[in-house]
Amino acid sequence: MIPGRCRAGKREILANALVLLALIGGTHALGVGVLDLNPSRWTAPWTGDVVLVGAGLLFLGVAFLMPLHGGMINLGIHAEFLAGYSVGAIIVRGGVFGPGLQAGLGLVAGAAVGALVGFGIAALRQKFAVHEILSGLLGAALFVPLARALSVDRMAPPALAIDFPALTQPLKWAPGLSLAPGVVLAWGILLLALSMVVAVLFAHFLRATVSGFEVRASGANPLAAAAIGTDVEGIQRSMMALGGACAGVTGALQLWTSPAVALERWPFPLGFAGIAVALLGLGSLRGAAIAAFVLAAWLNTPYVAHVLGQPGYGAGAAALLLLPALWILPRTFPDFGAPRAVWRTRHREG
Amino acid sequence: MGGKEATVVGRDSGIAVRDLSVASDGRWAIRGLTFAARAGSLQLILGERDTGKTALLETIAGLRAPSKGAVLVGGEEAPPAARRRALALIPREAPIRQLRVLERLLLHDTPRAAKVGIQWKQGREEARALAARVGLDALLDVPYEALRPVERKLIEVAAAVRQRPAALLLDEPTADLGPHEARHFLAILHRILGEEKIPGVLATTWPRDAFPEGSSVSILWRNADPATLSLDGMTESALVERWTGGLDIRRAPSGPHAPGDVLLRVEGLILHGRGRETSLAGVDFDAAAGEVLAIVGAPADGLDLLHDALLGNRRPDQGSIHFLGKEIAKAPRRVRVESGMTFVNPPIARDQSVDEFTVEENLILGQTHVPPFARKGFLRPESVRGNCLRALEDFEIVGATPKTRLRDLSLGQRQRLIVAREVIHNPRLLVVRSPGQGLSLDAQEYVRRTLILQCERGSGLLWLTDEPEEAMRVADRLAVLTLGKFVWLPVTETLTREAIIAEMSGAAA
Repeated sequence: MIPGRCRAGKREILANALVLLALIGGTHALGVGVLDLNPSRWTAPWTGDVVLVGAGLLFLGVAFLMPLHGGMINLGIHAEFLAGYSVGAIIVRGGVFGPGLQAGLGLVAGAAVGALVGFGIAALRQKFAVHEILSGLLGAALFVPLARALSVDRMAPPALAIDFPALTQPLKWAPGLSLAPGVVLAWGILLLALSMVVAVLFAHFLRATVSGFEVRASGANPLAAAAIGTDVEGIQRSMMALGGACAGVTGALQLWTSPAVALERWPFPLGFAGIAVALLGLGSLRGAAIAAFVLAAWLNTPYVAHVLGQPGYGAGAAALLLLPALWILPRTFPDFGAPRAVWRTRHREG
Repeated sequence: MGGKEATVVGRDSGIAVRDLSVASDGRWAIRGLTFAARAGSLQLILGERDTGKTALLETIAGLRAPSKGAVLVGGEEAPPAARRRALALIPREAPIRQLRVLERLLLHDTPRAAKVGIQWKQGREEARALAARVGLDALLDVPYEALRPVERKLIEVAAAVRQRPAALLLDEPTADLGPHEARHFLAILHRILGEEKIPGVLATTWPRDAFPEGSSVSILWRNADPATLSLDGMTESALVERWTGGLDIRRAPSGPHAPGDVLLRVEGLILHGRGRETSLAGVDFDAAAGEVLAIVGAPADGLDLLHDALLGNRRPDQGSIHFLGKEIAKAPRRVRVESGMTFVNPPIARDQSVDEFTVEENLILGQTHVPPFARKGFLRPESVRGNCLRALEDFEIVGATPKTRLRDLSLGQRQRLIVAREVIHNPRLLVVRSPGQGLSLDAQEYVRRTLILQCERGSGLLWLTDEPEEAMRVADRLAVLTLGKFVWLPVTETLTREAIIAEMSGAAA
């Protein structure tokens, strides 16, 4: 069992399934209405992107879920993502290292800077009572011009290229996908494995360790956690830093991999994709993994680029993707707000 | 228990409910309730927690649709929208705290200048007149959150009266008050109801609130139909008897206990209160193994502060707290727990359990840093499960399994679990605060008996409460907290609740 963080039931699962159905069906219907149904269109977008885009989305989903388990809403996820992107771009611009080393350094630095941003957002809340939602959104606004200014062309072919001869031909087990020559797929599989390992390890950490128990207690009832001596604030800073690292590494990834092209179809700022992934996954790590790959497949379906390229349709898709926040977020914080509202009788139920 | 006994509905004025049923979460919360309250009278709704008192008041106020039945205002059936306009509901917790008393009193109808500005001079006069009716006109510029609980309730009544309601509905206004404060509040409430010539409906868990001036009481039970009784000629003990169905809640403890070694020594404890709360003004006491020391006081008279100091939530301004000879005044709660001190708070306290966790997880809360539940940073599922199964069996917690979520249990079952968690490892000292508050009466008795039994096994028991009867039932030694200091009373056959209340209110001095 992978721990969940919300009290969603069958109705919420059904609602999320309907959202995905509306998203996929709606895109297809709109696309068919605009473009001729040409089977050749089906092959072009189906590359190894699905794997790598899924991995990126899962990283972002985990970036939102880690702080959520500790009781914080990581709306700084886009700021962390852009911070990772910016620092990766700085390394590329420096041009001091070879492409392979640049790629490795970029990922590490992206994770570090993302973690720093997450930590800062948590610290702002704890030291200066700046709510994490406010500081997160302001942080994103701050990093947008910086990321634009530092932006560089992506490495093409990807700097992380490894030539796998066995993958230079379409795979026998998926000939219809016409998967591209191995580089993207190979690194996609590695990154997918990494994102899955992060998710599974975090789930195991939550379920089986004393520290994970304290993280869950801090998120579910900070008063009770503090009463048993847990350092609730320390846990929240750590979770925000870990989530920031995941978002930062995804930001840096955009510089090194061609699937960024597919991710660019995302109808709102990419960092916030983690929120959609986490909430479509009902706040659980297992659900986030499923949602990430469904959305990755959707992004690679025919017509998506055309449909989402039109502002009206893009806005509709964005609204659908964020709709689950209405019924999932209130269920993730059963005690949200109450501890702050109760002053004089703070040990009693409000 | 149960059965309808009165079918009188509203006459010329007042408020009445007729055959009212209210469903809550798909269950029948209340079935077929009927009562009538005349102008100037107070109708009590008596029931344990989770019997639908709040839902009933919300239904009467027009905020919730009844399953069936009618609400009559002034003798006529009133639709929900009309009731929302005509009736004033005072919830248990005031929703707005960041205002001054003056602003709170003017909140719903602020005197306007040219429809945009505020006429503060006129508003102040109006607010002063309102506050004077509840005896608090000197507090207009005090922040609302700095008030004592009884003052907040009185201000809420004054603010509600300003809306000229057809009736006042009050949800457990006496829940956080000491008995002397509750009396003071109810006396003023009765006077205001009489002056305004409107009825009041008051939900409570305390039978004492019905006396001396209540007119009738409707009793809600969890698994039975409600009953409405006239209070004419009825005594408090007769009402308790009717409510409890004859449960023997006045059982005495198993006898005085012989005190052993001193476990806790508090000397010269001074702690400044928040807002208008009474400060602790130099408290000294010892708590010994094998005895029950009961401390009675109103929450705002220093009981909350003393509890916070013992829990480690607040550091004393002066004085010392020694546990087993070691100074712990500045130690966090974890250090206290690891030294052998444990805590049981009121069932509705938010800091002793996690509703989203399972039963077995709640049973190890705070105990994961020591064997047998963890080793090398990892939880040991077999120990956690074994501990849970043992607790469920030993403490007769029916209907719960290790994987049951705590939120799915009743309040009484939750409190049993918490008591089980705290006593199962034989602590040296138990600090308990009103552990049965709001529970069903048999659950209260079970919790009380379990704690006393633990004391007989050699643990010390420090019992903080705002209810004199509870203290009298358990105490080997008894102190009353009044004006921030202790007054020791001998625990004898002649000690009465009235004597304790007199000390609490300072009248004995």
